[in-house]
Amino acid sequence: MSGKASISQSSTGFGSGALSHVYIKHPPLRCSIPGSMGLFYDDGTKLLISTTSTQVFSWKTVPFSPLAAPTTDSISEGPILAVRFSLDEKLIAVQRSNSEIQFWLRETGETFCQKCKSESESILGFFWTDCPLCDIVVVKTSGLDFYSYDPASKSLTLVETRKLNVSWYVYTHESRLLLLASGMQCKTFNGFQLSSGGVIRLPKFEMLMAKSEANSKPVLADEDLYIVTVYGRIYCLQVDRVAMLLHCYRFYRDAVVQQGSLPIYSSKVAISVVDNVLLVHQVDAKVVILYDIFADSRAPISAPLPVLLRGLPRSNSSTSRSNGRESENSETSNANYHETIIYGDDWNFLVPDLVCDVANKLLWKIHLDLEAISASSSEVPSVLEFLQRRKLEANKAKQLCLAITRTVILERRPVNMVGRAMDVIVTSYSLSIKTGSYFKGTKAERRPTGVPNVNNPEAGTDVSVSQTDGRGKSIKFESNSRHNSGLINRSSTYSASDSEDTGSSEPLKTNLDDTPETQPSSLQPQTLGPVNNLVNHDVLEQQETQLATPAISPDEMYKFVFAPVDEEMVGEPSYLVAIILEFLRSANVEKVKVHPNIYVLTIQLLARSERYAELGLFIINKILEPSKEVAFQLLESGRQNPQTRKLGLDMLRQHPLHNDYVLLLVQDGYYLEALRYVRKHKVTGVRPSLFLEAAFSSNDPQHLAAVLRFFSDFIPGFRNTTDFCAYYRVLSEMNGTVNA
Amino acid sequence: MGLASVNPSSEGLQLCIFDLRRGQHEGQELDKILFFYPADLPFSTQLSVTGLSEGLITFTRIFSPEAACEVIEAERHSHVFYEPEPDIWMVMVVEKSKEAEAIWRTDALREVLKEVHSLFMMFHGSIRALLDKEPGGGLTRSHLYPFVMDYLRAFRKRSPWDKCCWDIFSGKKLQLPSFHDCLNERRTVQMLTVGREAAIEVQTLVRTLESSAGNTHCFSLILFQDLLVSSTLPPEDTINLFTYAVLRLTPRALSSGVSSWSYLRKGYSSSQVAGGSTFAHSGSVAEQFSGSVAEQFSGSCDTSSGDDRYRVVRPLQNDRWSKGKDGFLITDIWGTEVGDLDLATPTVWLKHTEARMYLCAYQYKSLTVIFLIPVNSILNGEQGVSMEKQKFLENASLKILKVEEKLSKGWGGENAYHVSGYRYLLVDSNRAISRASPAGKVTTLTKESLLALHMLRDEVDLEKGKNKWDHKAHDKDLEMCIRAKNNAWVIARITGGKELYMVLEKANEKLLYASDAVEKFSDRYCNGAFSLD
Repeated sequence: MSGKASISQSSTGFGSGALSHVYIKHPPLRCSIPGSMGLFYDDGTKLLISTTSTQVFSWKTVPFSPLAAPTTDSISEGPILAVRFSLDEKLIAVQRSNSEIQFWLRETGETFCQKCKSESESILGFFWTDCPLCDIVVVKTSGLDFYSYDPASKSLTLVETRKLNVSWYVYTHESRLLLLASGMQCKTFNGFQLSSGGVIRLPKFEMLMAKSEANSKPVLADEDLYIVTVYGRIYCLQVDRVAMLLHCYRFYRDAVVQQGSLPIYSSKVAISVVDNVLLVHQVDAKVVILYDIFADSRAPISAPLPVLLRGLPRSNSSTSRSNGRESENSETSNANYHETIIYGDDWNFLVPDLVCDVANKLLWKIHLDLEAISASSSEVPSVLEFLQRRKLEANKAKQLCLAITRTVILERRPVNMVGRAMDVIVTSYSLSIKTGSYFKGTKAERRPTGVPNVNNPEAGTDVSVSQTDGRGKSIKFESNSRHNSGLINRSSTYSASDSEDTGSSEPLKTNLDDTPETQPSSLQPQTLGPVNNLVNHDVLEQQETQLATPAISPDEMYKFVFAPVDEEMVGEPSYLVAIILEFLRSANVEKVKVHPNIYVLTIQLLARSERYAELGLFIINKILEPSKEVAFQLLESGRQNPQTRKLGLDMLRQHPLHNDYVLLLVQDGYYLEALRYVRKHKVTGVRPSLFLEAAFSSNDPQHLAAVLRFFSDFIPGFRNTTDFCAYYRVLSEMNGTVNA
Repeated sequence: MGLASVNPSSEGLQLCIFDLRRGQHEGQELDKILFFYPADLPFSTQLSVTGLSEGLITFTRIFSPEAACEVIEAERHSHVFYEPEPDIWMVMVVEKSKEAEAIWRTDALREVLKEVHSLFMMFHGSIRALLDKEPGGGLTRSHLYPFVMDYLRAFRKRSPWDKCCWDIFSGKKLQLPSFHDCLNERRTVQMLTVGREAAIEVQTLVRTLESSAGNTHCFSLILFQDLLVSSTLPPEDTINLFTYAVLRLTPRALSSGVSSWSYLRKGYSSSQVAGGSTFAHSGSVAEQFSGSVAEQFSGSCDTSSGDDRYRVVRPLQNDRWSKGKDGFLITDIWGTEVGDLDLATPTVWLKHTEARMYLCAYQYKSLTVIFLIPVNSILNGEQGVSMEKQKFLENASLKILKVEEKLSKGWGGENAYHVSGYRYLLVDSNRAISRASPAGKVTTLTKESLLALHMLRDEVDLEKGKNKWDHKAHDKDLEMCIRAKNNAWVIARITGGKELYMVLEKANEKLLYASDAVEKFSDRYCNGAFSLD
């Protein structure tokens, strides 16, 4: 399987993939319905909705599958301005006009209407919410109406009204953030967060707008405003067409803070978020620029490159011809031709990572090409940081990290730089331990292969709960810890994003199974050869189950980095020792426990280059922490070097591993010392015959007598054993000869 | 106080180095002698010393060809023998004085000989190689003489508790290891105990140094104060370089002329005068030499006056090292490069690899980092070395800062390794490491205790010597416990190549108490290595 994967990888995927960092994958989800009147996307339920005059077709987009079949609901005829399913998908709400919204109960087909009271106001839009106050929010030019739905009476009750002037509004269910524009330029905003904790009103704020000329005042339009959720933080991105800048605002509970601007190179831009990476599509220029706004830096991750369409069957037409299939096939190949227009005028970008080609009725999901992104930068520590933050394709990110780390060591890059890379890996691991996401992953790994389906729904509910929790908290946390140092902040946001992403990481699995392309190993240079393939194979098995985080444990560092590198590496092993030391330093700082096998490897490396004096220092200073494994390796390596062997013995004694220590003492001929040790530490389970044999071979009757005497005292009933009899006889013979 | 003094002019100490392969013929015996101290002794006396030694060596070799005699105890003198290289012998003759101060332990004296020779080897290579280079022997003599003299002078300074009356004897005195030093072990390294975190930090520094050198095999040695922190050298070379560093390079060695050691400065200046006079003396003595030998001696003594016949480097010369602006230690001992104002970088021979290495020492506060670069890896001489130094600064200076900070934080001061109630010496002969009670604390011991310990150590040395011939590979455990006249316990315990000596004064009279005290010490400070099993 892996072999196949890598072949297809190198031939199609990677070869062309090098030209892009973002791709969409063939086939898309087709949503063409005969007689379709409109296409809607409901981000609350993540449904793609197509309507005919009497029917509503809806496709699930999560998990994303091109084969998803629509569900159909019948509604009565009439104009449709907007369609939204309730969050439990029991009701369908259809905006019929700017003053009327109609509701259907899907089960019974019952229906009721909600109309504006006054003539002067008109409905701008509406959305369902999970905030405890209400179930549905209607945004009108005169303000907000909060309604709750009563299933018994099958009607809406007005819970609360907020009077505000609204020109237009922006809302995403993902952020639960509602921004209401007002004013001449539409740049004054009122904000509400309708979180599960309640409605939070944000302070009123103004957006920046550059003026082109003295008197002309540009008006902000709703398509210029994007609410973006990355790492559990909420940002608002605002296009300033005059300045050609994308202003970035971060929302806190009690403040809105402008946090820099990104340049734009196109009058039309669109924003997507894939796996917490911000994608700024420069639509006119037909390129996309990636930002990871986790850190303070606002520098793009990589150079602007177009989005690539992947997995398009090139020989499609020929195969279909030779197969002589039905007309459907030729239809698709025709459609393929249209599909390949990237950044066409009909592209609609949906929150957070979908693209809808309205003309062709196709829905694409946007993917990141992690290999290409990581290959585009030589700054290894920051690439690793980037990869370690990826949750959506955790497996792949992890594999890339391992491959990059291996390569960096094999290429003998400067120790300082590799040291920083180690810092990144260890810090990320320690964080994942603290937040528990690492264990979530490993638990998943240990699941018996047959069961995961059973567990999935459970995970799903788990996620939704924590999601709302995380949402409620996240804003609070941010505002509190804004002035604190980063760590608390970071971990809280991590947890928030964690919980969010596990929900959407479902598709990852199906993707991996469907398309061999997404498998790793493209980054590895050819020189790595068979060993790494082998390793990858191991890892692939792990991949069968999903990972929550790309964090790499010390044990995995050993298995997939240090051990294979040790086999690959030629020449002086001291470089590898230096790298392991850097790793130990990081681990020590982060208080991460290191598996003894890394210590064992270090001993082997030092012994191989006969640096026993340094090895001694390592042991005495406890750089290599004492353990049974370490002790035995010292004994093994000490065959060439008695000092090292002594260190191993000392470690056995101190550890304490009585039986092993005693056995080794006897082996070395210190059987009397061993006996003393046995007596002092009451070591049981020693075999008297060993000692007797040793004493006998020393040819000293006194010693033999002492050993016999010792065991007679130490082991009850020893006098009746065959050992005693045999050696007693031997002893008397010895004495006899001596006397004679 | 506390120092056995020997007046060199009064035959108190004689030290000679001679080669049995030379001067085989009647009348050429003088040719054997490569070094003799004091140099102003008449040749007849010198010859009688070497003659006696040679006779004894030849005689004892009949019985023990592998190892000829080690020591002769005569009524008034002790002769200590040491054969550092085949057929090259060093003999030290010390007078047994009526005063109790002059009590020697022969093993300790032999260690002195070993140290001189090892250091000599480190800077000049083996004596035999020098002799082969110039069979006349002039080259060897001109190297040996200033070197051993510098060493003996350095020796005079080294004792840490010189409260002795320098001004009285004005540098004419040599301090040999007497019974006062019995809680010291020469030819071992004293290590700084560091925590795991600091140790990792130190090791990453070591690796940084190593990797900054690229493919050439460099070595490094790191000291904090006068204690070793890390070494990538094999044990023997570590000891040599460590000894030299403590003698000449560590911050204390550099500042020994100034500040708190000001009384030594007096001693030093007087010794300098003395040194000068010794040279002058030997110069005059040289006239007594016949022919070439005399010429060579005068040449050897007068390096500074620009005698070009042998350019002799005197690495042990005092106060020739200083700290440069860039943090590197500089010295003019190795002279200046021809046509260059820069000072030449010192070089040393490694015993293990037999390679000649450039020695670069960098100092930051209490931290001294020595790194050695193979001479043959640098093609363009001094220029190449300064490039390496530049690289060193770029790569390591930050780490050095960090390490110094970590180590200073954990540094317990001069008396860090003092254990109250105990005066001890701990030797790990496997690793050539020792640790002892701080010198200042040892001085509080009474003379009786010290003498008792001295005797005990002599006894242990004897046992160890016997054991060495009996079972070569088998470590023997040993325990001795003495109740001294002043009611102090004097204890020696040896197990698995580790040795522990201690003195417990004002102690309870029960033997059990003494053994408990050892047990406690062992558990607490030696990972239970000396606990009775």
